[in-house]
Amino acid sequence: MSALRFLDQAPRFLFFTGKGGVGKTSVACATAIQLADAGRQVLLVSTDPASNVGQVFGITIGNQITAIPAVPRLAALEIDPQAAAQAYRDRIVGPVRGLLPEAVVKGIEEQLSGACTTEIAAFDEFTALLTDPALTSGYDHIVFDTAPTGHTIRLLQLPGAWTGFLEEGKGDASCLGPLAGLEKQRDQYKAAVACLADAARTRLILVARAQHSALREVARTHEELAAIGFQNQYLLINALLPASAIGNDSLALAIHTREQAALQGIPEVLRALPRDEVLLKAFNLVGLEALRQLLVDAPASVPMAVAPVMAFTQPSLSGLVAEIALGGHGLIMLMGKGGVGKTTIAAAVAVNLAQRGLPVHLTTSDPAAHLGETLDGALAHLTVSRIDPHAETERYRQQILATKGAKLDAQGRAMLEEDLRSPCTEEIAVFQAFSRIIRAAGKQFVVMDTAPTGHTLLLLDATGAYHREVARQMDGSVPFSTPMMQLQDPQQTKVLIVTLAETTPVLEAANLQNDLRRAGIEPWAWVINNSIAATTVASPLLRQRAMNEVREIDAVAHQHAHRYAVVPLLSEEPVGVDRLLALAGRH
Amino acid sequence: MASIQIFDPALCCSTGVCGVEVDQQLVGFSADVDWAKQNGANLERFNLAQQPMAFADNAVVKAFLERSGADALPLVLVDGEVALAGRYPNRDELARWAAIAETTEKPVSACCSGSSCC
Repeated sequence: MSALRFLDQAPRFLFFTGKGGVGKTSVACATAIQLADAGRQVLLVSTDPASNVGQVFGITIGNQITAIPAVPRLAALEIDPQAAAQAYRDRIVGPVRGLLPEAVVKGIEEQLSGACTTEIAAFDEFTALLTDPALTSGYDHIVFDTAPTGHTIRLLQLPGAWTGFLEEGKGDASCLGPLAGLEKQRDQYKAAVACLADAARTRLILVARAQHSALREVARTHEELAAIGFQNQYLLINALLPASAIGNDSLALAIHTREQAALQGIPEVLRALPRDEVLLKAFNLVGLEALRQLLVDAPASVPMAVAPVMAFTQPSLSGLVAEIALGGHGLIMLMGKGGVGKTTIAAAVAVNLAQRGLPVHLTTSDPAAHLGETLDGALAHLTVSRIDPHAETERYRQQILATKGAKLDAQGRAMLEEDLRSPCTEEIAVFQAFSRIIRAAGKQFVVMDTAPTGHTLLLLDATGAYHREVARQMDGSVPFSTPMMQLQDPQQTKVLIVTLAETTPVLEAANLQNDLRRAGIEPWAWVINNSIAATTVASPLLRQRAMNEVREIDAVAHQHAHRYAVVPLLSEEPVGVDRLLALAGRH
Repeated sequence: MASIQIFDPALCCSTGVCGVEVDQQLVGFSADVDWAKQNGANLERFNLAQQPMAFADNAVVKAFLERSGADALPLVLVDGEVALAGRYPNRDELARWAAIAETTEKPVSACCSGSSCC
């Protein structure tokens, strides 16, 4: 019945991977249902922090295998990576609480609060499902709505990573440090990694939206995972706007044209992959019937109420900028997951401030360099600079390998190189580069399209290295005592969180906010980007999507943000001064 | 043979590359530890982030943390007594504590062996 290629002769293990908000969990649910409907015994494993698998099936699932009554032959399991990491921290820190000084215990906890710990703790939970026959022998298929990153797998493959740790229980740390507290044996992790690389047993499905930047990122993921033996890969383009939904709506036409252009220009390495395209559906992907239709391309038989264009009275970005302008100068940092449009919003804020006659320096890590170039010299009070994250990270890596790596043996060097591929390394390298620009800024506005996470700031601050580093760079000529205090002071620094009006992106943004709060930094405002609800689109399909956004916008307005703005989805790329001003809306 | 115990600060990565600027001294020290072990030294390292119980169980280390805090690490004990605090030992010091004859030393580079000379 289904012509989907990724389902054709599906092997035992199916992994879906992709950025938050592309629909991995929905596709994984739909896949599991389809396989179960076809007579297979299926286990669905969700590690989505926003897991709504239980909600989808109308039952509570949690961290144990639970049969789904509504779908014969289907069972599900929800793994919460945060909870797994917390359990791990408790195992390490619990015994010394009250024995060692409170400040010492806090320091240890922070070391174990990074993304690496969460990742490895989640992988630990996967391992049994991949290698323990007693647990999974009853299932023909096990469907995961996420996959471990290349960084995690490479660490587990490195012989050097294991010599100190699980064999002797001590030795050098590294990013694998968190493994010290894991309980399984090396051969189990080895078997899990071997299973991932076995095309006969495991298939990886890369899920993406049809957008240039998203496809570029998927191409990187593909190459990274292929390089470590994860060869059996498929590509799924989710939520394509069907031509039938365009009607005579100009925005719908623009979206359709943009998506088709992105598919035309798909990166070369992705062309060779077996590919499926799944159309955007008007209905919410909750409930069995909706999920059964997700992977079917027939016109939706779910009745579609034509939602009227709402009177949309949400605050505009220029309203936020007006408030920022009152300060006269300061550091404005845009923060959010990849793909939410931080660079565009940063540019819009900068252009708006400059338009008011205020001196502004915009600095971006935009890989395309496109946006910055179109703005440089375009406005009297605006200067623009750009940092290439890959170049900065590479420079940092080379510098460290040349200094500290010089004396290491082959195993030690391999470990160091892998440590240097961690997400933290890029964050540190880029932030150091930005610090140089902040120092040069003086009494103007500096708008940045990135910000360090709270975890990074706390680590840097705890060791004092950050103080030393920035104090050296700032030349002692600044009126505050520590850089951390500058970031914590809303008079000097405003952090704006950028997100999309969808469930997972909002949840991810809330997690970023919590992380900053741990470092004593209170985000000043939220910006909801690419909102369909903020447009007057007429296409019924898109109007339905707009209605779905309202709940998320409400959550941001009432639960998460002190102040917020909604930026509409535009039919043209917001490049150039005029379009950026239009994007911010009237104040 | 003397027992050498090194109590490291909480490091997410021993190299520090994930979190903070790389401590060149730490890198050199890791190499020196390997060297000392190869020459038969009885040497153990404990990372505060991974083996905090080792810190809590040792009265000397626990008292040190209470008095000076984690910032004052690393701490080196030789046969259970404080031999060094606040910095990592160099190769000469390790050799002396472990009674390794200098003749067995294979210099890794012409100039520096763990200190800050270059």
